[in-house]
Amino acid sequence: MAAAGRAEGTGSRVGDFFETRLRIGPLLSALVHVRIPIEARPYYLGGITLFLFGVQVVTGTLLALYYQPTPDAAYDSVKYITSVVEFGWLIRSVHHWGANLMIICVVLHLLRVFAHGAYKFPREFIWIAGAGLLLATIGFGFTGYLLPWDQRAFWATTVGTEIAGSVPVIGDGLLGLLRGGADVTAATLSRFFGMHVLVLPLGLGALLLAHLVIVHQLGLANPKRPEPRPGTFGASATAAPEKLRPFWPDYVLDEVIAWAVMLAILVILASVFPAGLEDKADPLITPQHVKPEWYFLSVYQLLKLVPRIVGIMAPIVAIGALVFLPFLDRNPAVTPRKRPIAILVALAAIAVMVGLTVWGQYS
Amino acid sequence: MAPGEDDPGFPGPDSVRPAIGEDTVSRRRFIKWVLGFSVTSIAAMVITPIVSFLVPAKQETTGAGARVLAGTTTDIPSGTGKVVAMGSSPVIVINTDSTPSGVKAYSAVCTHLGCIVGYDSTTRVIVCPCHDGHFNPANGAVISGPPPAPLKTIDVAVEKDQIFLVRG
Repeated sequence: MAAAGRAEGTGSRVGDFFETRLRIGPLLSALVHVRIPIEARPYYLGGITLFLFGVQVVTGTLLALYYQPTPDAAYDSVKYITSVVEFGWLIRSVHHWGANLMIICVVLHLLRVFAHGAYKFPREFIWIAGAGLLLATIGFGFTGYLLPWDQRAFWATTVGTEIAGSVPVIGDGLLGLLRGGADVTAATLSRFFGMHVLVLPLGLGALLLAHLVIVHQLGLANPKRPEPRPGTFGASATAAPEKLRPFWPDYVLDEVIAWAVMLAILVILASVFPAGLEDKADPLITPQHVKPEWYFLSVYQLLKLVPRIVGIMAPIVAIGALVFLPFLDRNPAVTPRKRPIAILVALAAIAVMVGLTVWGQYS
Repeated sequence: MAPGEDDPGFPGPDSVRPAIGEDTVSRRRFIKWVLGFSVTSIAAMVITPIVSFLVPAKQETTGAGARVLAGTTTDIPSGTGKVVAMGSSPVIVINTDSTPSGVKAYSAVCTHLGCIVGYDSTTRVIVCPCHDGHFNPANGAVISGPPPAPLKTIDVAVEKDQIFLVRG
């Protein structure tokens, strides 16, 4: 038995030295010596997102050593990082691109899980934790965006927090909590910095732990086999045994290769398209045609087209539906062909979001 | 004895065990209440200062009726507009014609989502650059776009060539 073997001896003197003092072998074995269905095709997206989060933690920690979170100093400190500090431009640009790629990978991961029906019984809580991770990632983007204190940052935050302030009933309180006052000021910058470097990392870390622990406990979903709810007779009860492959080292090796490719993409993007910086924030001048980051463009465009309350409530309702999707979609089938309504609704939602994003970009 | 609400819990001597009946509270239930009350009190004690800490303090505003010099009619000639600061509030001052009554001032904060409006002297309308809201410079009313309300009017006093804003 592998676990017992690890506990008794690792085969190397260094390994034995630590194992006799930590007794961690059985725990590590239980974590990595699992098997996953060959038919599960996760496309390494969850792992790549985890890797990008690691990149953000490292580059963000480095940036925090130079960054000064006050309106007088923030802009100049970002300029200093970019133009004076050795490799500062690279660290900042990797952080910038890492954030964008992380959002793309989280969304692709979500779409993959949706397409494979992997959010269904018994994996509802994996999905809910994952949706929380998506929101936390967007929260990172929103709070990090203000930190350079340039014009785009300032006005994107003004509009974004104003949207939060327009939510019925709780809007005023929410606006005050986010801004630390009535307007976007030094208090807002302090709060956003605190949320970006402390609150959100701790929150995301907790959600990530929950997400991974439940994935480990339940295993990866097989996109060709629904798991019948208790008391029902499903196809898998009579089907042939699942073909499995080891997570360690087979899957992990593939994942590490994907991480190396992603690191190369990050460095290329950061080098060819380094993060920019606009004029310093001026609370008296909103620049012409100011627009938010691409992942908020659909909401931006929607707010141009519909009454404010509709533009604010529609995304909130959509997020609510996304989080609680496993409990709204009661169809037990997992293959897309047997879920035409869910697939059509998702395709329509994607088309609307992409359409609004493109429209917002070119309007 | 099966565990339940009426289970007296710790099997103490019969002499100190309370009688169990409809009107009595079992030791276990009593301890649950005490513990529940303690946990709730401690939670309230911890949460109240945290929430109060997060709510921003109210800022003092200067008295109503005070006047702020916004500029002169030379700075803001006829057919132009300028955003100036009245304390921490941005105000747009527009000189619609050369008469004192033609000088108008509005809060420059767009009623849609808080961007700062500007005056387009070519089309002679107030424009919000964020979501394309358009306002009438004569009265601050919405002409087109998503803003839900007109711009807030600020009282103006013109003395010789000096333009003063009057706090409401």
